Amino acid sequence: MSEINIANSSGRDAVVVANSARSVLNVHWVDDQGRQVSPVRVVKATISQDGPALARQFGGMDKVSAALVEGDPEIDLEKVGRILRDTSRVYVDPEGEIVHRVQFWEVVRNPDGSERERRPRRILDTNVAGEVPLRWSGKFIKKEEACRRFVFSGKVQLHHINGLTYDFLFEMAKQLEAKDSLMFLGAGPKSNQPLILKRGGIPYRGFLEGRTDGDKYCLILHFSNLELKAPEEAPKQESES
Amino acid sequence: MARPLVFQFGDRDLPFTLNKVDRSKLYGYKEMAVLTEDGQSCELATLADDGCTVVGRGGTGLGQLSVDGLWCDKQTLKPVDQNGNEIKPVPSSFSAPVRLFETVSVSDYFKHNIRLVYHVTSEDDISDLVAELKKGTLFSFPYSYRGGLAADAGFLLMGEEDRIFLLVGSPTKIEFIGLQQVAAVDEGEEDEDEAESMDFDMI
Repeated sequence: MSEINIANSSGRDAVVVANSARSVLNVHWVDDQGRQVSPVRVVKATISQDGPALARQFGGMDKVSAALVEGDPEIDLEKVGRILRDTSRVYVDPEGEIVHRVQFWEVVRNPDGSERERRPRRILDTNVAGEVPLRWSGKFIKKEEACRRFVFSGKVQLHHINGLTYDFLFEMAKQLEAKDSLMFLGAGPKSNQPLILKRGGIPYRGFLEGRTDGDKYCLILHFSNLELKAPEEAPKQESES
Repeated sequence: MARPLVFQFGDRDLPFTLNKVDRSKLYGYKEMAVLTEDGQSCELATLADDGCTVVGRGGTGLGQLSVDGLWCDKQTLKPVDQNGNEIKPVPSSFSAPVRLFETVSVSDYFKHNIRLVYHVTSEDDISDLVAELKKGTLFSFPYSYRGGLAADAGFLLMGEEDRIFLLVGSPTKIEFIGLQQVAAVDEGEEDEDEAESMDFDMI
């Protein structure tokens, strides 16, 4: 869970909790005796003996194949099959050596793949739990229309932390339910900036939905960064990735 | 040519071609270039806990160990849910026609996180289906691309400009909450997971 600072239609703001709404299918694997097994990650090849390294060593991939027939140059008997635990992520140069000082660049490309811009990486700070609350924008979109215009890829459920914030959120949910609409929720003084949930995260447009059931409420913040529309030129059939 | 996805609507089988829709095709995309100080391109790798073994992309594999610490062949294992009930794998949605008979409300649809979007087209006469979708009908069905342990939730709906979309997602644990269900303010790891999963989905 995380905090979110949000204002109601009267401009009163409060810090409440945003709970993940994600549901995960729990799958366990058991052996023939019904005992649960544990997944492990193992070494298949070290970087000094993978394809590119062997190609450098033997002078080309065509010579690597001959070397593979004659011996096992791709296998480090000390390391292959070893279980990996407590690993770290590192960057390596084309020779496979660890690099300690790297520069991050963002390359922005158009839909056709052509380069639009190249710039140093920008890390955006979170903007949902700062001093400036997410304001009540008053911009509504009917649910029927919203589901046909935007793709909602994630959501969190807002949760009260005490009696006061229960009243606060319940009233918001009731207002939104009466409108049968989602309310656009943005960050910044004009509520027009995308929401960033964590530092360096992807910006999303926020849409707030409210439901009530007796004295219970459900306030859902939907996230979207994709409109429901087809690309200009439909490509050929593609596989799932 | 790839196999079409066939929907059974009424007593007719309607074959559809799927065209994936994602951000890169609509708006473009961003790539991260990681460079050394002298401009050479870098790749991400894994450093083992011994501090000297470096494993590159594709250099790791997954395995399963028994409680005795012995290697298990995945073919001999069974998937079970958290109650210990065996999970029956589902077939691919491309292996048989998908029946369009169940509909959902917009509120039910909003309880799902959508992770894949396809624009679907057909060369057959689909006027009956189009007429039904134009009324605002949202069809729902189990969907699995390759088959697997569980099916995703599939939705067929009409977007703008009379285009038909297949959306694939998963249900969330949205629930009504009352006064007594007070949340503790705690910056745990769960929200990190949410943000990371969304990043992953959208990338």
